[in-house]
Amino acid sequence: MIKNKSGLSLVLSFLAVTTVFAATSPRPSAQLPPVTRLTAADMPYDVGGTALLKWDVRPEDTPDVLYQIYVSSMESGGWIKADEFPADTRTGDGIELPFWAWNASVREHVVKVELNNFYGEAQTTGPVFRFKVTSVKDKKSYDSQVVSAGTVSNWFRLDRLNNLVMAILVFIVFFWAVSHAKRKGLFIRRIAGLDAIDEAIGRATEMGKPIYYLPGIGNMTMVSTIASTFILGEVSKKVAQYDSTIKVPHKDPVVMTVAKEVVKQAFLEAGRPDSYREDINQFVSYDQFSYAASVDGMISREKPAAIFYMGWFMAESLLLAEVGSTTGAIQIAGTDEEAQLPFFFTACDYTLIGEELYAAGAYLSKDPMLMSALKTQDFGKLVVMVSVALGGILASLGGLMHWDPFTRIIADLFKAY
Amino acid sequence: MSDTFLIAGAWISAGLTIFLFSFLYKDNPFFKVAEHLYLGAGMGWWAQVYLYGVLRPKVWAPLMNHDWMVLVPTFLGLSLITQFIPGISWISRYGFTFLMGYGAGLELPTKLATDFVNQIGGTIQPFVNVAGMSSFALFNAVVIAGGVICVLIYFFFSVEHKGAVKKASNVGIYFLMIYFGASFGNTVMARFSLLYGRFDTLYTFSASKYLYATQFILAGLAVYFIVHALMNRGKKEIEPAQ
Repeated sequence: MIKNKSGLSLVLSFLAVTTVFAATSPRPSAQLPPVTRLTAADMPYDVGGTALLKWDVRPEDTPDVLYQIYVSSMESGGWIKADEFPADTRTGDGIELPFWAWNASVREHVVKVELNNFYGEAQTTGPVFRFKVTSVKDKKSYDSQVVSAGTVSNWFRLDRLNNLVMAILVFIVFFWAVSHAKRKGLFIRRIAGLDAIDEAIGRATEMGKPIYYLPGIGNMTMVSTIASTFILGEVSKKVAQYDSTIKVPHKDPVVMTVAKEVVKQAFLEAGRPDSYREDINQFVSYDQFSYAASVDGMISREKPAAIFYMGWFMAESLLLAEVGSTTGAIQIAGTDEEAQLPFFFTACDYTLIGEELYAAGAYLSKDPMLMSALKTQDFGKLVVMVSVALGGILASLGGLMHWDPFTRIIADLFKAY
Repeated sequence: MSDTFLIAGAWISAGLTIFLFSFLYKDNPFFKVAEHLYLGAGMGWWAQVYLYGVLRPKVWAPLMNHDWMVLVPTFLGLSLITQFIPGISWISRYGFTFLMGYGAGLELPTKLATDFVNQIGGTIQPFVNVAGMSSFALFNAVVIAGGVICVLIYFFFSVEHKGAVKKASNVGIYFLMIYFGASFGNTVMARFSLLYGRFDTLYTFSASKYLYATQFILAGLAVYFIVHALMNRGKKEIEPAQ
C-alpha cells in the first residue's frame, strides 16, 4: 500500500515537473503562413506613379506580426523595402477615396506604394514593377508570391465627381442668369463704397488734380485683377465724361497692356477718344517694393485728389495707402487679400471687402454678363449656406445615432480630394 | 582693401536706409536718389531673373537640344511684345487669349475645390464626431458654422439687406472685424520685426569700425533739412503742374 502510494506520488511529481518545464521552456514558434491572394494594380484616379497592393485580412494578423512591402523594377532581385507596418493595420477604409469611387472594405489589406519615392518620377508611370509582401514574426519572415503591375495616369478623376457636378450646376445657373439678365435685368443691392466713386471723380475734376488708379500687383490670371480692370473701365469712362485726368501705374506689364485697351475703350465709349493719352497707363517696376517706393514718390509729388486701390495687394498696401492719406486724397480701396484689408480700413475712406470687389464691376456697368457672374456667385454662396446648415444637422444626427456609413456619405460629399 | 569695401558697403546700406526713412518727414532729393536706385536695381534684378531663370534654361537650353515644342510657348510669349508695334499688335491677342483661358481653366477646378467644396466640408466635419465632443468643442463648431453663414449673408448681393437678413449680415460684419483685428495685429507685429532689423543694421553701422556711418549720415540729413527750411522760409510750397 505504502509502496503503491509512494509510486503514485512519484508519478504525480514527475508529471508536475514536466508540466512546469513545458510551460517555462521556449516553445518553437507557430509557422506563419505566407500572404496569399496578393494582387497589385494601378492606383485609380491619380496622375500615375502609385500602385495598390491588396490581400485578405487573416486571423494571424496580430500586432506582433509585421508586414513588409518590397518593390523591384528588375526582372530578378533589386528589392527595395517600400513600407513596413503592424499586421492589424492598413485596411481598405484607410484609402482616402469617396464612397462612389471606392469600396472601403475592412476585410482586406490595402497599401499604396508611391513609386516616386524610390524611382525617378519619369520612370514610375508606364513600366511594370514587381511587388511582394513579407510577413515577419519572431524574427522569421515568410515571403508571398511575387506580383507585378504598372501604373498609368488617369484621365478622369471619379473621386472628384462631386466637384464636376457642382461645376455643371454652376454653369447651368450662369447661362440661366445670362438669359434672364438680358430679358428682364437682375437686381443687385446697393454697395456703399461704390457710390463714392462719382464723388471722388467729381472732387478731382473740381480741384483740377489727377486721379490715381492702382490695379494692384497681381497678374492677369487673378480674379481680383480681372475685377479691377472692369472697375477701371467704368472709372475711366467717368473720368473721360468729366474731362478729368487719370493715371494708372503698373507693376505687371501684361496687366498694363490689358488696362491700356480697357481705358482706350472707355474713352471711346464716353465719346472722348481725343482725350485718351498713351501715358495714362505707365509701367513702373516689376519689383514689389520698388514699385511701392516709386508710386509713393509720384503720389507725394503730384498730390492727386482721388486714389483707387483695386485689385490684389500685399505688403505694399499700407505703404501706398498711408502716403495717399497724408496727401488728403479721397481713397477708395478694394481687395480680396484679407490680410491687407485692415490696412485699407485704417488708411482709406471706403473699402470694398473681398467679394464686393468682384461685384463692383457688375454694379457699376450693369452689364448682363457681369451681372450674371455675380448672380452665379450668389447662387454658390446660397449652396454653401444651405449645405453648411443642412450638412451640419445631418452630420450631427449621424454622429449621435452612430450611423457611420451615413456620416461617411455626408463627409464624402463635401470633400475636395 | 576688404576693409574699404566693408566700410563702403556699410555707408551705402545705412545711407539708403536713412534716405528712404527720410520720406517719413517729407519728400527730398535724398529719398528721390534712393527711390530711383531702388527702381533701377529692382528692374535689373528681375531682368537677370528672367534671363537666367527662364529664357536660358527653359527656351535656349531645350532649343539647343532640338526640343522644338518649346517654340510654341515661346511664340505665344513673344506675341505679347508685338503690342509695341502698332501694325502687328493684333498678334498679341493670341498670347493674351491663351493667358486668360489658361488662367481661368487653371483657377476653376482649384477654386471650386478649395473655396467651395472644402469650405463646406471643413465646416461640417466637426459635427461628424458630435457624440464624442466636449461642450466647448461643440460650441466652437456651432460658432464657426454660424459665422460662415452670417458672413456669406453679408456678401449676398441678390437681396436687400433689411429685417432678418440685415441682422444676420451685421453679425457677419462682427465676425469679419474680429478676423481683421487679429490679422492686423499679426501683420503689424511682423512689420515691426522688419523695422527692428533695419534699426539693428543702423546700430551696427554706427560703430567706429564703420567710421560712424549712421551718425554722419543722420547728421548730414538733419543739416540739409535745417538749411533747406531756412532758405525756403516764407516761401509757399509750389503745387504740382496740372
